[in-house]
Amino acid sequence: MVRRAGGPPSRILYGVIELQHLTKRYGGTLAVDDLSFTVEPGHVTGFLGPNGAGKSTTMRLILGLDAPTSGQALVNGRGYTSLRKPMREVGALLDAGAVHGGRSAYNHLLCLARTNDIGPKRVVEVLEQVGLAGVARKRVGGFSLGMKQRLGIAVALLGDPGILMFDEPVNGLDPDGVRWIRDLMRSLAAEGRTILLSSHLMSEMALTAERIVIVGRGKLIIEATVAELTARYPSLEDAYMALTSDSVQFGAAR
Amino acid sequence: MSVLTSEWLKVRSLRSTYLVLGLALSAILMGLALAVMAAGMYDTASLAQRSRARIADLEEVLVMVPQLCMGILGALTITSEYTTGLIRTSLTLVPGRWPVLAAKSLIVGALGLIVGALTVFGTYFLSREVLGDRFAGAYTTPFQDRLPLLLALSLTVPVFALLGTAFGALIRSAAGAIAVIVGLVYVIPMIIGKIPEPWSERLGSLMIGALPREITGDTITTSVYGSLLSPAAAAMVMVAYATLPLIAATWLVRRRDA
Repeated sequence: MVRRAGGPPSRILYGVIELQHLTKRYGGTLAVDDLSFTVEPGHVTGFLGPNGAGKSTTMRLILGLDAPTSGQALVNGRGYTSLRKPMREVGALLDAGAVHGGRSAYNHLLCLARTNDIGPKRVVEVLEQVGLAGVARKRVGGFSLGMKQRLGIAVALLGDPGILMFDEPVNGLDPDGVRWIRDLMRSLAAEGRTILLSSHLMSEMALTAERIVIVGRGKLIIEATVAELTARYPSLEDAYMALTSDSVQFGAAR
Repeated sequence: MSVLTSEWLKVRSLRSTYLVLGLALSAILMGLALAVMAAGMYDTASLAQRSRARIADLEEVLVMVPQLCMGILGALTITSEYTTGLIRTSLTLVPGRWPVLAAKSLIVGALGLIVGALTVFGTYFLSREVLGDRFAGAYTTPFQDRLPLLLALSLTVPVFALLGTAFGALIRSAAGAIAVIVGLVYVIPMIIGKIPEPWSERLGSLMIGALPREITGDTITTSVYGSLLSPAAAAMVMVAYATLPLIAATWLVRRRDA
């Protein structure tokens, strides 16, 4: 068990994501193929793989959005769909564009928060935390991709959960925003949270993550620490290129 | 309850909601315009023409406006989430899924009930005020005799709202769901009117437009619909319209990968 650093120890943050032989087949294609790994608290786990490797599908399976063909994904030892107030245990950003452009940032967050009995006070807090307090009443349709990423992160943070998953949160952010995300991820991990972060930006991942899970064509390629990988290869990017060279589906010849 | 609060805020926080509600309520103004026009024509007509003049029940004609509008609102509440992708977030936050659909249905159903009653009764009272004792037998019937039909007409509006939600969830596209609603209001009754008897009357009796008069036993020979159903059977058909597509939608939303 890990206590949250700083502030009163009002609640214990403890989170584990466990995949056990997770498999998902869509028609004839195996999107996720017998995937087993565990994501543990206290550090950022980078989730890497070429386009189409099954990263987003894996996240959807963890969140119970798609039903696995076989195997299972557990959060804190339970299936996600059995959680009664899931926002308090798991926060996720899958697609920053998945917002109704006609709603204000504040209303967007509040209507999502209400489903898990979270009130306006917490909405205001997360708006400040992600730096959107000044545009809280503006309609989301006018937001840049970077602002939408911040809004999506705000949704994930609403329930102050022990487990957080982010799918490509750095896309569309300016250098200031990239650094902000890096610091946020690290501080969330330092508080004892479990963070699963997918990204294609290797240099960024090398700065943010401590452990790395690489998948290709739905299969686990390697699970290692960044230190282990950078000891064996010149850089994380070189490690990634070498390890995924057989798994790239949509790449130019190299 | 928390999901209901959430969905209510979702509906309230969009401008499109107010636009559609306003459009639905504008049926009252259309009814008023028609009544004023009819009164003017009646007053300039000769006595012989007056004795033969008939007028349709304006609230029955105009109820199509709130029916369509609330069907569209019902569809939009769910299809807008599918087109934006917000549905994934909604279903992640409520993993049981059915409460999301139930809350949406409850809200558009209640809105439909209010809007339906406002337009039907509003049109009725304004038309009666404007027309007075013109057109024998139309608005001269005592209110309590017309009340059952007015209530039954009002009830068709929430039925359309629920149909919109159900088909929105089933089809996941606003255009598709709205096509179904328009088909139910206009296209299918038109086709049924053209097929040979006895099937025209048999199928026509099952159309939503036929149900209010079948429920109240208030059938008229000029109706484009059939009138074969007993009041109890017609009421059951109306309940089936409101519930069966929703049950199918709930089953599918729970089962389908989001």
